[in-house]
Amino acid sequence: MSITRRDFLTGAANGTHLRAGSLAHERVGAPLNILILGGTGFTGPEQVEYATARGHRVTLFNRNRTRPDLFKGRVDQLIGDLNGDVESLKGHSFDVVIDNPTTAPAWVRNAAKHLAGHTKHYLFISTLSVYPNNTVTNRDESDGLTPLPEGLDPYTVPADQARRYYGALKTESEREVARQYPGINTIVRPGLIVGPLDKSDRFTYWPVRIDRGGEVLAPGNPDDPNQIIDSRDLAEWMIRLAEQRVLGTFNAVGPVISMWELLAGIKSVTTAGAQFTWVPADFLRANGVTPWRHMPTWMPPVPNAGFSTRNNARAVAAGLTFRPLSMTAKDTLDWHKTRPAEEQKSLADGAIAGIPATKEAEVIAAWKAKPQSAP
Amino acid sequence: MATNRRTFIKSVTAVGSAIGLAGVPRLALGQEAESEPVWTPKPVGKARVPLNILILGGTGFTGPEQVEYAIARGHRVTLFNRNKTRPGAFKGKVAEELVGDLNNDTTALQGKKFDVVIDNPTTAPAWVRNAAKHLAGNVKHYIFVSTTSTYSDQSIIGLNENSPTVVLREGIDPYSVDPQVIGGNYGGLKVLAEKEVQKQYPGIWTVIRPCLIVGPLDRTDRFTWWPARIDKGGEVLAPDKPDDPCQFIDSRDLAEWTVRVAEAQEFGLYNAIGPTHPMTVSEMLYGVKAGTTAGARFTWVPWDFLQEQKVRPWRDMTVWQPPYGRTAGYQRRDSRKSIAKGLTFRPLAVTAKDTLDWHKTRPEQEQLATLNGEINGIGLKREAEVLAAWHAKVKAGQ
Repeated sequence: MSITRRDFLTGAANGTHLRAGSLAHERVGAPLNILILGGTGFTGPEQVEYATARGHRVTLFNRNRTRPDLFKGRVDQLIGDLNGDVESLKGHSFDVVIDNPTTAPAWVRNAAKHLAGHTKHYLFISTLSVYPNNTVTNRDESDGLTPLPEGLDPYTVPADQARRYYGALKTESEREVARQYPGINTIVRPGLIVGPLDKSDRFTYWPVRIDRGGEVLAPGNPDDPNQIIDSRDLAEWMIRLAEQRVLGTFNAVGPVISMWELLAGIKSVTTAGAQFTWVPADFLRANGVTPWRHMPTWMPPVPNAGFSTRNNARAVAAGLTFRPLSMTAKDTLDWHKTRPAEEQKSLADGAIAGIPATKEAEVIAAWKAKPQSAP
Repeated sequence: MATNRRTFIKSVTAVGSAIGLAGVPRLALGQEAESEPVWTPKPVGKARVPLNILILGGTGFTGPEQVEYAIARGHRVTLFNRNKTRPGAFKGKVAEELVGDLNNDTTALQGKKFDVVIDNPTTAPAWVRNAAKHLAGNVKHYIFVSTTSTYSDQSIIGLNENSPTVVLREGIDPYSVDPQVIGGNYGGLKVLAEKEVQKQYPGIWTVIRPCLIVGPLDRTDRFTWWPARIDKGGEVLAPDKPDDPCQFIDSRDLAEWTVRVAEAQEFGLYNAIGPTHPMTVSEMLYGVKAGTTAGARFTWVPWDFLQEQKVRPWRDMTVWQPPYGRTAGYQRRDSRKSIAKGLTFRPLAVTAKDTLDWHKTRPEQEQLATLNGEINGIGLKREAEVLAAWHAKVKAGQ
């Protein structure tokens, strides 16, 4: 496939943005003046595409480092850093702000110096990681949030520790949003975001691995739950939330499907004839295979029964829709094949997520060599 | 890529308009875009040497796909049929349309010569003989689309082209053209039709035995039931065990390969069965679900209980056959020979999506008949009854 990333992003090459069922949604209200913080990473570009396609005026605020000038000429660009220099936001007014990159409350506070009082709506992308307890299924937005560790000042957490306190800092960021933009904020808490442009390989591993064919190590019980959201479904819904000025807090994650449905659904877009070997969680653990890290999207329901079974009813009632899995799988696979060789190798080596082929084969062989005890 | 897509859409639109389906035009932003293909096939490309092809039938299910593909490959196509199924469907597209009936009137074939004949409709040896009156000696290659129903012992796992075939019951005239006789002796007559082909066209014949043919244009609902049902969502009755095997072939894969067999002049006997590597029935159903958004949930009900409830394999639980006893090998046949000769298979997602899209263009009455289980498929009402009975049994057992 010879399409460039830009072609891909603009949807010019493969019609990605044309075949989304969610595009059937009619725009509500007048065109908006939208500020997108970030906007060049993974979900952001989909927001920009969808918003501009629907006639909105889009301004980006970012460091212009991730894919610099990606949308040059198509959006207004403000350069700055939520972590430091937010001067370029001064004097601007917007109908709505979409905050993608914030991982610490200081970022919200910094931007609010210029934006509070100058926007009618603030949409914050948070995360399901704000919930510390994942043992109970079907929990909704009222579930308890991550407490701040004692002695930690959320406004001065060093960058190298931010990852460790991700859930707590996102929780504090939500609170900062509520303080800075009272009565005009929307908190969206997505689950695992997947699809084209995702460099984390946390879903991409599966389409790529299954497309290679052969015997595929499949984790746990085939009926174990799984829950993801396509970045385009998330992005498009957020723009519609802006259009309809829907306020409140929402879990934004897809329907619960089984791991078997996930893997078979991905297989359906391939022709390599992958065969799945399901290996129980305890055997995987004993062999150093880590859920999520080595077996992406999978979290064993014991003890985390609630991890992949979050209640999404509120978001669905507010218009969140989902592409068919086959589309997510196919588009992700097509995109992966356009990635630079080193990124494709990184996935093959399981460097970020997924299990390397050699290790996978070892685990399968060990599982098959194990004397099978009576059930 | 743009070219591939254009080619694909052009060809789909052409088939669509020719047979009364909605086309698949590229849609403007903001419009419903459900008909966009999930997958863009490779460009068709041109054959090295254009052939003069006669297609017997050609307007039913697999035939139109052969016609489209052959024309796209640069071949000259002549049709011979009764002009009753979709009359005029290929008017102006094929080089010539000959009208007649393999059963009795084949005079339109007189004096014609072809590089290759593709025989789709023949179900009895008399049809082959009737056509051969004019075609034998005037063609270089005769391709007969037969069936895996020619095999007499479906318990054989890994059944191949050498496996035993059905013997026609005694006392039946194989050359009888009585529709009753033909209908009731499908496998036996197809075997004899194959033999007639070999007799009439010695050394220049190809016999292709496809298994269950599926895809758009299939009015039998034998696969269509699943996409139509799963697209409705809710609790779906699924047969027996998720690991049971299943096999089928997309009509386009079959049709396109048949044309390539003509191009390569591959003679001999071939199973035409997909996919290349084993597929389980759950992979099929979950794969179909992956193209939908209704959130269907599957309840797998064991064969014993299905039998108690008089739920029939194939007829009610379409595609599926019990992987035990006399049907143990039904879904585990061997197609390595044809695969080695270039038979390829579309992704299941494409078959499922295209079938569902086509189903939605069928007359409302046909769509209703599908969900009512009037053709094949258990039907919504009976499905709900069986599920209720199963849940009651499970509850009672606890």
